[in-house]
Amino acid sequence: MIAQFLRSSKPFHATRLSRVGQSCYSTAPSKPSLQHVAQLRKLTEVSISKAREALSQTNNDIQQALEWVKNDLAASGIKKAANVQSRETREGLVSVCILSGGSRGKTALGGGNIRAAMVELNCETDFVGRNTLFGQLAADIAHTAAFITEPTDSSTIIRSCSLDILNDAPLLSQNNPSFHSSSTVSSSIRELIAKVGENISLKRAATVVQNPFLGQAPNIGLRLASYLHGSVGSAPQGRIGSLAVLALQSPELARLLESETFVKDLERLERALARQIAGFDTCSIKSSDGDETALYNQPFMMLGGDGANEPVRMAIENWSKRQGLVQDGEGGIEVLEFAKWSVGDVVG
Amino acid sequence: MFRLAAQRGIANKLAGSSRALRASSLYARCRCSTWKQTSGPSLPSAASWGNRRGYAEAAGKFSRVKPHMNIGTIGHVDHGKTTLTAAITKVLSDKGAAKFTDYSQIDKAPEEKARGITINSAHVEYESDGRHYGHIDCPGHADYIKNMITGAAQMDGAIIVVSATDGQMPQTREHLLLARQVGIKKLVVFINKVDMIQDPEMLELVDMEMRDLLSTYNFDGENTPIIMGSALAALEGRDDSLGKEKILSLVQACDDWLDVPPRDLEKPFLMPIEDVFSISGRGTVATGRVERGIATKGAEVEVVGLGNTFKTTLTGIEMFHKELDRGEAGDNMGCLLRGVKREQVRRGQVIIAPGSMKAVKKFQAQIYVLTKDEGGRYTPFMSNYRPQLFLRTADITVALTFAEGTPDAEEKMVMPGDNVEMVCELVHDVAAEAGSRFTLREGGKTIGTGIVTKILEHA
Repeated sequence: MIAQFLRSSKPFHATRLSRVGQSCYSTAPSKPSLQHVAQLRKLTEVSISKAREALSQTNNDIQQALEWVKNDLAASGIKKAANVQSRETREGLVSVCILSGGSRGKTALGGGNIRAAMVELNCETDFVGRNTLFGQLAADIAHTAAFITEPTDSSTIIRSCSLDILNDAPLLSQNNPSFHSSSTVSSSIRELIAKVGENISLKRAATVVQNPFLGQAPNIGLRLASYLHGSVGSAPQGRIGSLAVLALQSPELARLLESETFVKDLERLERALARQIAGFDTCSIKSSDGDETALYNQPFMMLGGDGANEPVRMAIENWSKRQGLVQDGEGGIEVLEFAKWSVGDVVG
Repeated sequence: MFRLAAQRGIANKLAGSSRALRASSLYARCRCSTWKQTSGPSLPSAASWGNRRGYAEAAGKFSRVKPHMNIGTIGHVDHGKTTLTAAITKVLSDKGAAKFTDYSQIDKAPEEKARGITINSAHVEYESDGRHYGHIDCPGHADYIKNMITGAAQMDGAIIVVSATDGQMPQTREHLLLARQVGIKKLVVFINKVDMIQDPEMLELVDMEMRDLLSTYNFDGENTPIIMGSALAALEGRDDSLGKEKILSLVQACDDWLDVPPRDLEKPFLMPIEDVFSISGRGTVATGRVERGIATKGAEVEVVGLGNTFKTTLTGIEMFHKELDRGEAGDNMGCLLRGVKREQVRRGQVIIAPGSMKAVKKFQAQIYVLTKDEGGRYTPFMSNYRPQLFLRTADITVALTFAEGTPDAEEKMVMPGDNVEMVCELVHDVAAEAGSRFTLREGGKTIGTGIVTKILEHA
C-alpha cells in the first residue's frame, strides 16, 4: 500500500516522504506515519488532525482507520454542524434530477409518467459551491428526492417536498444506483460540513411525482422541461434553475410522439421554454396583456429564428399548428406549471 | 513652431465652436496634469487640497518611492485570513511601516461585503523594506472575478492561507483555480495555527501536500515559499519565533518571490488618439492622453488600428503651448507626425512604440454582464449578440459568440450578472493585447465590461 502511494506521488516528494517515513518508524513505531496520513487524506479528504487521530486509534491500519473516520465523521459532523449552524449560507447550487421526463412514443402511448425533483443546497462561499464534493451531494439529494417521494393528493403537479422526510431518507447515489449507503441525507450533509468546514444547509426541495392524466385521457401527455443556468461542469445544476410541466393535447398524439423528428423539435421547444422562464423575470404563466412577468406575454427570445419576436403564446400556437398537433381546431401545447429558483432567493 | 494656440485659432476659423471647445478642454486637462508624481511628495498645495476635500488625513501623504503592489489573501473562512492581515499590520506597525488595522476595522462595513458591492480593497496597506502593499481580501470566486474584470480590485499576487490543523481542504483547489483564472502566476503560502498542532511532523505533510497541489495547478510547487507560523501569536505578541518572526519572513517572501507588475512608465509607449488636427505648414497633429511609456521627439512610432497601420516619425511633441522633448504616461499632449495626411489618422487608433502591440480582429475575453440594478440589460442574450465595443477611444461593433467547440452554443444564454468567457469578433481591427479592458454598450447604456484574455486573430 505504501509502495503504491509512493509510486503515485512525484519522485521529488517520494524521496522526502521515504526519508520522513524512516525517521518516523525508527523513533516511534506507534506514531502514525506521514504516508499513512497522506493516504488516508487522499481517500477521505478529512483534515490532517482527524486523519492522524484515526491512525493512532487504529494502530496505523488503513482499513480500520477508514472505518474509524467514517464513524467519526458522523460524530464530528454533528459537533461541527452545531458550531457553524448560525452562519449564513447564501451561496450554493440548484440541482435538478429528472427520472422520467414524461410522454415517449413507443413505450407509453401518449401517457408516460413524470418524476423529477429540484433541490437547493446552500453553503457559505462559492469556493465550496464550485467544489465537486458539494455538486455531487446536491445531485444525490435531488436524485433521492425524486426517487423517494410518494404520490399524494395535491392540487398542483409541482409540489414542495417535506425537508424533514427528505433529511431522514437514505441518500441514494446518482451515479451508482446499486450502491446502498448507510447514511441519510442529513448525515451526508453533516459529513460534508466536517470536510469543508462551512455551514451547509438544504434550503428547499420540490418534486413532481404523478401524472394526473395517466390512463385517463389518452389524448393528453405531460412532459417535463428544465434548464439550469451557471453550471460549473456539465451536471444539471447551477445558480438558477427552472422546472416546467408542459401538456400536449392532440388526437394524433401517440402517432406524433413516435416520430423522431417531432420529438427532437419538441425537445428543442421545451429547452427554449425552460430557458425563457429562467432567463426572464417570469412570475406567472398567463396574465393580463402587457404584463411582461407573465411567460405567455414575453417575446420568445430564447426560441431564436423567426419566432424570436413573437410572444410566447403565439409562438407555441404557431409551433403546434406547424407540427400537426392541432387537428380540426383541437389540441395544442400548454405550460401548466413551473418553478424557478435562484440561489439565495429569500423564501417566505 | 506649432502651438496648440495655433490649433485653436485655426480650428475656430475652420470648424467653428465644437472643435474649439474640445481643444480648450484639452488645456484644462493639461493644466491638471502639472500635478505629477515627479514634483515630489512635499507639494504643499496637494496636501491642502486633501484637507479641504476631507478625504485624506492630514498626516498621511502617499509616497511613491517604493513600488506598489496589490496582494490578496485567499483561504477557508476559518483559517485566519483576517487574523493574518491584522497581524501583518501589527508587526509592521512596530517598524512604523504600517498602521495597525484591527479585526474589527478589517471586517468593518459589512454592507460593503454584501453581494454586488465592490470588495473594499484599499483600506489595509503596509510597507516592507522594498515595497508598498495594498491588501485585498477575497471572499468569493464570482465576486472577485467581477472586481477583476471591472478593474475595481486587482491582485498582482496572493497569499494562500491554510491552517496547519486541517491542511488543505477540498475547496483549496477552487482557491488555486481562481488564482489561475485571474492570471496570478506566483503565490506565497502561509500555514497558519502552527502552535495548535501536537506533532510537528505533520507540518511536513501540509508542506508536501501543498506543493503537490500547487504543481497540479501549474504553479511552481517546488520553489513557492511556504511560511509556517501563527498569526494569532503575532497579533497577541507572544512566541516571537512562531509569530512576529514568521510574519516578517512572510513579508520578506512576498518581496522576494512575487513580481511587481511593471509600472506604466516602464512599459512601451502608447497614446490612444482622441482627436486629429491638421496645421498648415506643419502637418498632422494627433492629440491624446499617454496611457503608458515614454516617447521622445524624433522617435519612430507606429499608428495602429481601424484598418490602417503604418510607421512614421514623431517630429514634435507639445503640451501647454510649448514644445517638449519627451512625453510620458499621464501627459495630455499633441504629436506631430511626419508625412502623414489628416485622413490617415482617426480617433480610435493608437500611437505606439513600433511593434509593441498589434491590431486584432478577433479575441477571447472574460466579460461581466451588468445587472439591471447596475444599469445593464433586463434580459439575457444569446450567441451572436452585437453591441458596441469601446476600447480606449475606439468604438466598434462586435459580435459575441461562444468559443469554438462549446456544446449547444446556439442554445446557450448569458444573463445579466454573469461573468462569461466569450469570443469577440470585431467589424474593424483595433490595437489590443491580453489585459486590455473594454466596455460593451447598447442603445446608450453600458451593458457589460470585459478584459481581453487571448488574441485569436490579428488584422
